[in-house]
Amino acid sequence: MTENTPTRLDCGKTIEELSAYLAADRLPPNPDIDTCPECLSALDGLDHVAQLSRDLIARDIGRQSDPPESWITTIMSNIAQEVRSGRSLPLRHDNPEVTLSITEGAVRALVRSVGDGIDGVVIGRCRIDGDAETLDAPVQVTITASILWGRSPQDLSEVLRGRVHDALRQHTDLRVAAVNIVIDDLHHIIAESQITAESPIITESEDPT
Amino acid sequence: MAPTGEDGADSPWEDVSDGTLVGRAADGDVAAFETLVRRHAPMMRAFAARMLGSVSAADDVVQDSFLIAWRQLPTLHDPAAVKAWLMKITSRQALSCLRGRPFDRAVPERECAVPPELQPESVVIRNAQLRALAAALEAVSEDQRQCWLLREVAGLSYEQIAEELRIRPSAVRGKLARARASIYARMEGWR
Repeated sequence: MTENTPTRLDCGKTIEELSAYLAADRLPPNPDIDTCPECLSALDGLDHVAQLSRDLIARDIGRQSDPPESWITTIMSNIAQEVRSGRSLPLRHDNPEVTLSITEGAVRALVRSVGDGIDGVVIGRCRIDGDAETLDAPVQVTITASILWGRSPQDLSEVLRGRVHDALRQHTDLRVAAVNIVIDDLHHIIAESQITAESPIITESEDPT
Repeated sequence: MAPTGEDGADSPWEDVSDGTLVGRAADGDVAAFETLVRRHAPMMRAFAARMLGSVSAADDVVQDSFLIAWRQLPTLHDPAAVKAWLMKITSRQALSCLRGRPFDRAVPERECAVPPELQPESVVIRNAQLRALAAALEAVSEDQRQCWLLREVAGLSYEQIAEELRIRPSAVRGKLARARASIYARMEGWR
């Protein structure tokens, strides 16, 4: 067998032709191929080779040695130099000469830490919408969260909203018009479960009095 | 529920989805990003090693890929699709590495830890099959192998591959067809 000799099936089709048919996602449909048992069996074989490539990588993964811890540390120290601080959110101060502010990144970290402190909650994103750089301008805080499978989304989001409100009141001067909670994920069902944000399970929002 | 312990190896976030972790990481949470690194690095390293034919070059490429991923995370539209997105970044970095410096391919065919006589026959056959595939993959031309790995392993579309390789989608289709036919022919006896 040489590289340039096309392998021809008894029905007359070459493997190259069939492979091109597969590469075109079997479009447009070719009845000659789709009804020929020999072609169909070769197509299966070609498909199988593709599956094997993924199996090969899976085997490589199983056999490769773990990267040294220093390899991970290098990545983490590189990214740590690129902090995402976001906007500067002003804080009140009695002395008008003094400018005080807290970064948006720090507020998000605060929200995460408050939310993660609730058993069964893992915070995802935290967005602060509105003119947060101006004191007294109303802002809306929207938080996505994943909750532990089996827990009540209503109960947990109620607790979460309350604690986030308290924390923001205590540590920032944001005028929080609303804290919106979107439970868009569950954890502890099956590993790597991927319930996506496309279908939020529950969305709650409430304007505080 | 924050990660505890020094190495983070058994992070309590093990069951937390990519989407949630990506959201946190995009907001600047370094620990969530580390969990994503540990979760996806094995796939990226194995793929890059096959692309580059070098484990150490693959490790460099994957490190760079994660740095790029960190910078671009806030722009990721579908956080749950982070795996495919990371593979795309890895593909791009591996290709630019290949363009930058040609080096000898030497993918080590790691020997199996379990002696063949102790393995069930199906496993022996399977390993032989995968070895045959690895050899077939090494035998096709460089550009065909790249197209093949980008399509079948990294899961890129023809259009994406064309963009990365700077060729037309029809040329990608042709290379893939030839790669598949050639690998199939070399796998005779194992299919």
